[in-house]
Amino acid sequence: MAKKNTKKKGTEAPQVNENCSCLIDEFIVQNSPDKERLCSIQEADFEVFTDPDAKKVSNKFYIKNQTDGLPIIPPTRSRVDKFLKYSDLKPEEIIAILPPKRGKATMEKVAINAVMAGCLSNFMPVIQHAVKAVSQEKFNLPGINATTHPISICAIINGPVSTELAINSGAGCLGPGNIANATIGRALRLSMINIAGAVPGIGDHATMGSPAKYSFCFAEAESESPWEPLHVERGYKSDVSTVTMMAAEAPQNVNDHRSTKAEDLLGTIIHTAAVAGCNNSHVPGEILIIMGSEHAKTVSDDGWTKDDVKKYIHEKTIVTAELGGRGGRKLDEKWITDGMVKITRSPEDVVLVVAGGPGRHSMVSPGFGTSSESVTLPLTLKDGTAAKSMDDFKNNR
Amino acid sequence: MKVKIIEREVLNPLADTEALEVEINPIPEKIGSISLVDNTKPNADVLLDTIRKNLKFKNPINVRKPAGAPGTDEQIKQAQADLSILALGDCGSCTTWLILDAIKLEKQGTPTISVCSDIFAPFARELAESYGAGGLRIVEVEHPLAGQSRESIENKGQKAINQIKSIID
Repeated sequence: MAKKNTKKKGTEAPQVNENCSCLIDEFIVQNSPDKERLCSIQEADFEVFTDPDAKKVSNKFYIKNQTDGLPIIPPTRSRVDKFLKYSDLKPEEIIAILPPKRGKATMEKVAINAVMAGCLSNFMPVIQHAVKAVSQEKFNLPGINATTHPISICAIINGPVSTELAINSGAGCLGPGNIANATIGRALRLSMINIAGAVPGIGDHATMGSPAKYSFCFAEAESESPWEPLHVERGYKSDVSTVTMMAAEAPQNVNDHRSTKAEDLLGTIIHTAAVAGCNNSHVPGEILIIMGSEHAKTVSDDGWTKDDVKKYIHEKTIVTAELGGRGGRKLDEKWITDGMVKITRSPEDVVLVVAGGPGRHSMVSPGFGTSSESVTLPLTLKDGTAAKSMDDFKNNR
Repeated sequence: MKVKIIEREVLNPLADTEALEVEINPIPEKIGSISLVDNTKPNADVLLDTIRKNLKFKNPINVRKPAGAPGTDEQIKQAQADLSILALGDCGSCTTWLILDAIKLEKQGTPTISVCSDIFAPFARELAESYGAGGLRIVEVEHPLAGQSRESIENKGQKAINQIKSIID
């Protein structure tokens, strides 16, 4: 605004604050005996609040090792509060203590990291239960977070929540393109960095890490599966929403376009799964098989049940003891039969789910060996009731 | 008119940590029993054997526990002694569970010395601190130990032996 002419003939013009130009103010100043303007002692007439610049905040957080390297959404109070509405816990309530730094994963700290990850607010119940699941003793988070191995934390979502949150179980479900798949896993990773202290090179000692450590989250394509889904297999009703957390390597593809018989197709899978360099080759444990729906149909149409498939993969996925014995922990004699090692301890170690879109591909992800067990938790309210919708969390504070 | 533009504050993503305190047991002047805990990492056995021979430990209790995972209750009980020496922390998960098992032993009254490679020793100390055991005794050997010859391990072990001597003497 243009500067006003404040000079008056025969009088000395008072000093006017050039930033303030309202006529009333000017009038008062000109007639004020002490020549002080009221508004000059005020910091401002108006305060306008703006969101911080995402690029600037991302850089500030990045410098402090508080991101995964990608830009973040600035976790402002209003954004975090929206996320906190999707929990029946108080902001200060602790979900878990996370190693190695034994950080208190309060609802609020998890929400801050979920905001940063770019989540939507109604993803919070999934993230809350995922954090609780990985803190279970049998998951071995102290080992998973600190290891030199490139193990990632995989989230498999089952039940109605998959549809409610539009979590991708179809084409490209392990790749880019879906906000839930991309950000739920990322919220977990940021929580590991900022709450657990698993900062790469500081608390997370992965020799190389893995792209799967950015986000590894998908839903099972239950309607495409000829078999019962993972959560039902683990004792939950089909209409209960669950999150299964599993320590898993980045997935390796199984391309089989030609097999028409179950045994042939499973033969391709077991030869992809039987790798000497995985942890399971010297400390047998869980393996994740994400079977494409076309592959699953071929196997099922040949009369194979899910149990048949798991048993077959367990029995046939073997490596030589000579190769398996080169891993970090000494290969125990009890795992060796005729010079060979099964990479799983039992059929139960074969975590079999169906996912993906059209195409004749499956995926194999070895686990962390004997040192970690997957954990499935139902999405429940504080009183133990299974949530029918994420809105149940919102309405039960 | 003055208009002040205020940028909203961002919240801190870092968590508060849980404070713990673990009392580190003094090593008795006269060590009657000693346990050597081998987590089966490559050359942990060679290193422990080198330590045993050099320090003339007689009839040690030999315990094997998994690397990268907690020792079982039975293994921890077996390792209880006047002094327990644990090896080897030369990666992330094995260092973690070497230290956490050493802390478990300390809590049960057994003084410990943990052997870590010099690359992972700083993390071992950080971890011990996080679990309230900042004073945990950790000695270092030169990294790497896996994929090395026996002779190399015996040479590298000398540094740890000197540190152990100065601790127990």
